[in-house]
Amino acid sequence: MKKGMWSLGILAIFFVLMSLIVPNAAQSEDTIKLGVTEPLSGTFKDIGTRYLEGVQYAAKVINEGGGLLGEKVQVIPIDSELKPDVATRKAQTVILKDNVKFFCGGTGSSVGEAMSQLAKRQNVIMFTYGMDAASMTGEKCNRNFFRPGGSTDGRSFAIAQMIVKKGFQKIGIIAQDYSFGHEAVDAFKKKLLQLNPKARTVAEIYHPLGTKDFAPYASQLIAAAPDVIFTPNWGNDLTLLLKQGRPMGLKAKVVSYYINDEVMIESLGDDNLILGDMGAEIYMVSIPTKKNEEFVQKFYKDEGHYPTWLRGKSYMAVMFWAEAVKKAGTTDVNKVIKAWEGLTYEGPAGTWTMRACDHQAQVPYWTAEIVKNNPFFKHAFVGPAVEVPAKDVEVPCDQTGCRMGQ
Amino acid sequence: MIFQKKASHFVIAVLFLVGGLAPFALRQYQVAMLTEIIFFALYAVSYNLLLGYAGLLSFGHAMFFGTGAFTAAVALVCIPGISIWSDIFLAVLMAILVGLVVGSLLLRTKGAYFALLTLAFNSLFYVVATKWSSVTGGDDGLSITRPNISIGSITIQLAGITSFYYFTLVIIGMAIVFCWYFTHTAMGRTVLLIRENEERMNFLGYNTHISRLLLFVFTGAAAGLAGAFYSLHFQFVSISAISVDMTTTVLLMAFVGGTGTFWGPILGTFVYIIVQSYLSDLTDHWPLFMGLIFVFMVLVMPGGLSQIIQKIPGVFSGKSGDEPGDRVVTEETIL
Repeated sequence: MKKGMWSLGILAIFFVLMSLIVPNAAQSEDTIKLGVTEPLSGTFKDIGTRYLEGVQYAAKVINEGGGLLGEKVQVIPIDSELKPDVATRKAQTVILKDNVKFFCGGTGSSVGEAMSQLAKRQNVIMFTYGMDAASMTGEKCNRNFFRPGGSTDGRSFAIAQMIVKKGFQKIGIIAQDYSFGHEAVDAFKKKLLQLNPKARTVAEIYHPLGTKDFAPYASQLIAAAPDVIFTPNWGNDLTLLLKQGRPMGLKAKVVSYYINDEVMIESLGDDNLILGDMGAEIYMVSIPTKKNEEFVQKFYKDEGHYPTWLRGKSYMAVMFWAEAVKKAGTTDVNKVIKAWEGLTYEGPAGTWTMRACDHQAQVPYWTAEIVKNNPFFKHAFVGPAVEVPAKDVEVPCDQTGCRMGQ
Repeated sequence: MIFQKKASHFVIAVLFLVGGLAPFALRQYQVAMLTEIIFFALYAVSYNLLLGYAGLLSFGHAMFFGTGAFTAAVALVCIPGISIWSDIFLAVLMAILVGLVVGSLLLRTKGAYFALLTLAFNSLFYVVATKWSSVTGGDDGLSITRPNISIGSITIQLAGITSFYYFTLVIIGMAIVFCWYFTHTAMGRTVLLIRENEERMNFLGYNTHISRLLLFVFTGAAAGLAGAFYSLHFQFVSISAISVDMTTTVLLMAFVGGTGTFWGPILGTFVYIIVQSYLSDLTDHWPLFMGLIFVFMVLVMPGGLSQIIQKIPGVFSGKSGDEPGDRVVTEETIL
């Protein structure tokens, strides 16, 4: 009894001292805080880190230009571990602890969906530049969630157009087994059949997110003998598919959402594994516009490397958000929401317009093929990007499934 | 003896009182953290009833926690207007059913076989939760909205952090007290004696399989209740709730606090969540440090923090306090 009592006594002391034990976070009221939920550890750390670099660079540019509404933008990195429960738990803590009103993130639509619900409950803003599942601005939309970036619909439509133009008939599909993967494939198949009813899907494979062994899936694809393979895979799931699949005899060209990833291409170690593969994205360093060339040069001068893919996307999204805050003239969440709806941003990747009906930015897509010789890297990388206008891949408001405010 | 029991009741009452006053002294995020500590404490206590009391090392306790969490979330999504009481009841009921089915298959094995089979069952539940995405949401998880409490014409809003904290304190607090009471019942003591000498208990006419099954189901129900509150607190549930990581978490909580006393795992939960919160603010590599703490605890202090606390009176009185039986649950330490 005596021993148990001691434990109880210590417990009571812990309760009393808790407020002293847990330190209060440094309150810097003169900054606009932006929480960034990215996987900063684990398998997808590389993806999260590059997105974060883009956000930090945007904050740096804003702060060097006098800040936002006269205040500095403070970036608060949050390691989501690519787990929705972890991301929301940590985000809720910084909302309560540091009064953070704005969040962004680019990795994992599952994280995005959970963050979207949290944003709605807590009346904060969550925006994404890389969580692409169309449903997030479709049937699961809400007024506190914005997507200044691409969606599975837009991307899949752009890729379907490219595949039809190239004349491919037999299509193999491989995707990650979660909402993003399924929605990407559904949109792709829908558009493909619209454009070419004779096209056939000869394989449709779903694998767990973060798969290490692609041999069984590569075998299935090889057996199906497709003309071309469509995959919305990203990060290591794309690297390992190519690295393990090509030596096994996977010859068909791969058309992917995220082919313009220099880290992935370099880690392949052999350009031949990817030469000729194609992709469609909302940002590529090879976009041939004057604004982009200036941005790429400045970024390279400041950071010592190119704003490829993720860095460019997160940079543009944060700059777009900053425009909305500027227009609102306040950090009041409701006023920023109103200001962002219908707002247009002229950035390195063309003109982006935030649609009020679903909070999905209408953006042009850029397609390119992997070539050996390029001005950016010694290894293979994307060739000149070709624009697919936003209008060509637009999903009309009444077809998104979004019932904003209902 | 009567005095000792009264003293225990007094301390429990003081803990409830301190818990009741805590929101007045703490900030909102600290209240949210305290809510988390309370339901995880029940999870750790339920695990310790298996490990510390019955001597059953389970790597599958998350299947109960996850079952409770998912049942609560799925019920809220699929049954519009369900009351919070029915929701929690369904979660516990489902955990009991899982405990009965899995327990009746598992409890004839012992030692390493039992541990491995629990791991296998947990993996099975994890795969079901992942693949049955139309119900569980799979990798995306399920977002829910916490219902309010309706008692007749009175409605108590549970949307706020503080109101849900009080609800958790009362319900989970009572569940923990009930677990403590359970260890003092004839059934609770039987489990302890089965661990010490099962053959003798069989010889005395006890059906040890039934006793262990009852304990397994009871601990499963408690873990399921904790899981339901996990869903309600975060208003979200994902496959993390039913993963082996969740079992590792409770194992750490129990070991950090000490499996030798009833209250050790509660202390362990408290320390674990606060240290985790600290470390994750400081570094992205916090799981590494938590792992090192676990290794340190197992190698240097297998009795956990409660062992250190128990030694304090000995230090003052000049006794070592490191006597045989200190590292296991005995009739004395469970009090």
